[in-house]
Amino acid sequence: MKMSNCTSIDPLVTPYVDGELPAGERQHVDDHMRTCPPCRARVAAEEAARQLVHARKAVLTAPRAPGSLREQCALFARAGLKTRATPGTPTTTPDTPTVVAQVFRPASGARRGAWRSAVLPLALAASLVAVVGGAFLYRATDSSNRLMAAQLTADHVKCFGIDDLLGTHDSPAVVETSMLSGFDWHMHVPDDLEHSGLDLVGSRPCLYARGKVAHLMYRYQGRPVSIFMLPRSARADDLVEVFGHEAVIWSVGDRSFVLIARGSRDEVARMASFVKASLH
Amino acid sequence: MPMATFEAEALASLDSLYRTALRLTHHPADAEDLVQETYLKAFRAANRFEPGTNLRAWLFTILHNTARNRARDRARDTVAIDSDVVERAADAPAPGSGASTPETPESVLLRDVLAPDLQAAIDALPDAFRQAVWLRDVEEFSYAEIADMLEIPIGTVMSRISRGRRSLFERLNSRRERMSERRQVVRVGPHDKVNEDV
Repeated sequence: MKMSNCTSIDPLVTPYVDGELPAGERQHVDDHMRTCPPCRARVAAEEAARQLVHARKAVLTAPRAPGSLREQCALFARAGLKTRATPGTPTTTPDTPTVVAQVFRPASGARRGAWRSAVLPLALAASLVAVVGGAFLYRATDSSNRLMAAQLTADHVKCFGIDDLLGTHDSPAVVETSMLSGFDWHMHVPDDLEHSGLDLVGSRPCLYARGKVAHLMYRYQGRPVSIFMLPRSARADDLVEVFGHEAVIWSVGDRSFVLIARGSRDEVARMASFVKASLH
Repeated sequence: MPMATFEAEALASLDSLYRTALRLTHHPADAEDLVQETYLKAFRAANRFEPGTNLRAWLFTILHNTARNRARDRARDTVAIDSDVVERAADAPAPGSGASTPETPESVLLRDVLAPDLQAAIDALPDAFRQAVWLRDVEEFSYAEIADMLEIPIGTVMSRISRGRRSLFERLNSRRERMSERRQVVRVGPHDKVNEDV
């Protein structure tokens, strides 16, 4: 009966210490330990470490996730669930349908501050652009392109989601000035409406306050389009799909750009190439 | 499970995922990235979650898979990830383990070791052992759940927990002994030789 050796006891020690061993095997370990001081010491050491961790658990588990992380993950939930809730959504469906009726302004004659406040039906509401001069902080880590695209897509969804509450309307000059002062970004906001199918609606600070990223919000044929500008990080040009959106990533000089929109890959890539040609 | 419930329950694990990610990465920024990617994957794959199973364990599995993939992608931490090496090293008997002192120091340890020292000792464990001990003793998952998360057999889970705990004990205990020796040196004066036999 006492023929058990230390090797046969070995796999039983941890469940023994954790109190998860059936009575028979428990007895087996007890019997062995009576005659084997090294195993007794081993069990005592393991029990001590376990007890110590349990006794200090309240402190070990005290660190809490930063609020900004909570916010970001909650955005992922919204964006992710939204995407899943409407599988195969037609690409023309805006992310936030409630925004459309309130924000869209007529494209014709809507230039450089000459905005009309009339609300147009969706069909007529093509070619509008919202511009957000964002002063929100984005931590430009070396996270994967996919994760960065997801973070920005979540912001894209959120910013368009609250855009119906804050509908300021700035001229390209104002936007260009705020990009210059806020981001040292000499940019030219595209105002070639007929050619681009894009028009400027407004500018407001993005409320999401982390990091240093400019967020330009457009509407293209009724569809929200975001362009983010962030300090260049070592990443290759890319086109990734996330949350039912396409994200085109490219870099110029010391800046990286990400364009996010729903649509076919080709379509979104075309938008990006137009923007590439226009933003400098 | 209704989506709103899924979302709320998933987000309820945020703190423990973040803490665990901190133990995995040692860097707050990396831990945040890891947690974000975990939630990103979880919400995208929510329809693959089987209701009735443990959502928290499922999230932890995604977290560890993601961490493993990242380590693989970056082709670094090869020594730490090579658990065979770690486990062989740990197979060597701990110094002094054969000749255990009759006076067991367990209760002293329990009384004396402060949480920050314990945390530091946990962080100093080899990755494979730290993960196992953390998931078992802090996050309180079952052996089977941990086996899923780490993609290792249950037997290996138990042996890693065992070795991790013992290693923790050895570290804290030898540290405590060094500290008390130092105190002794101070008490008897710098010119007196400290003789362990005394």
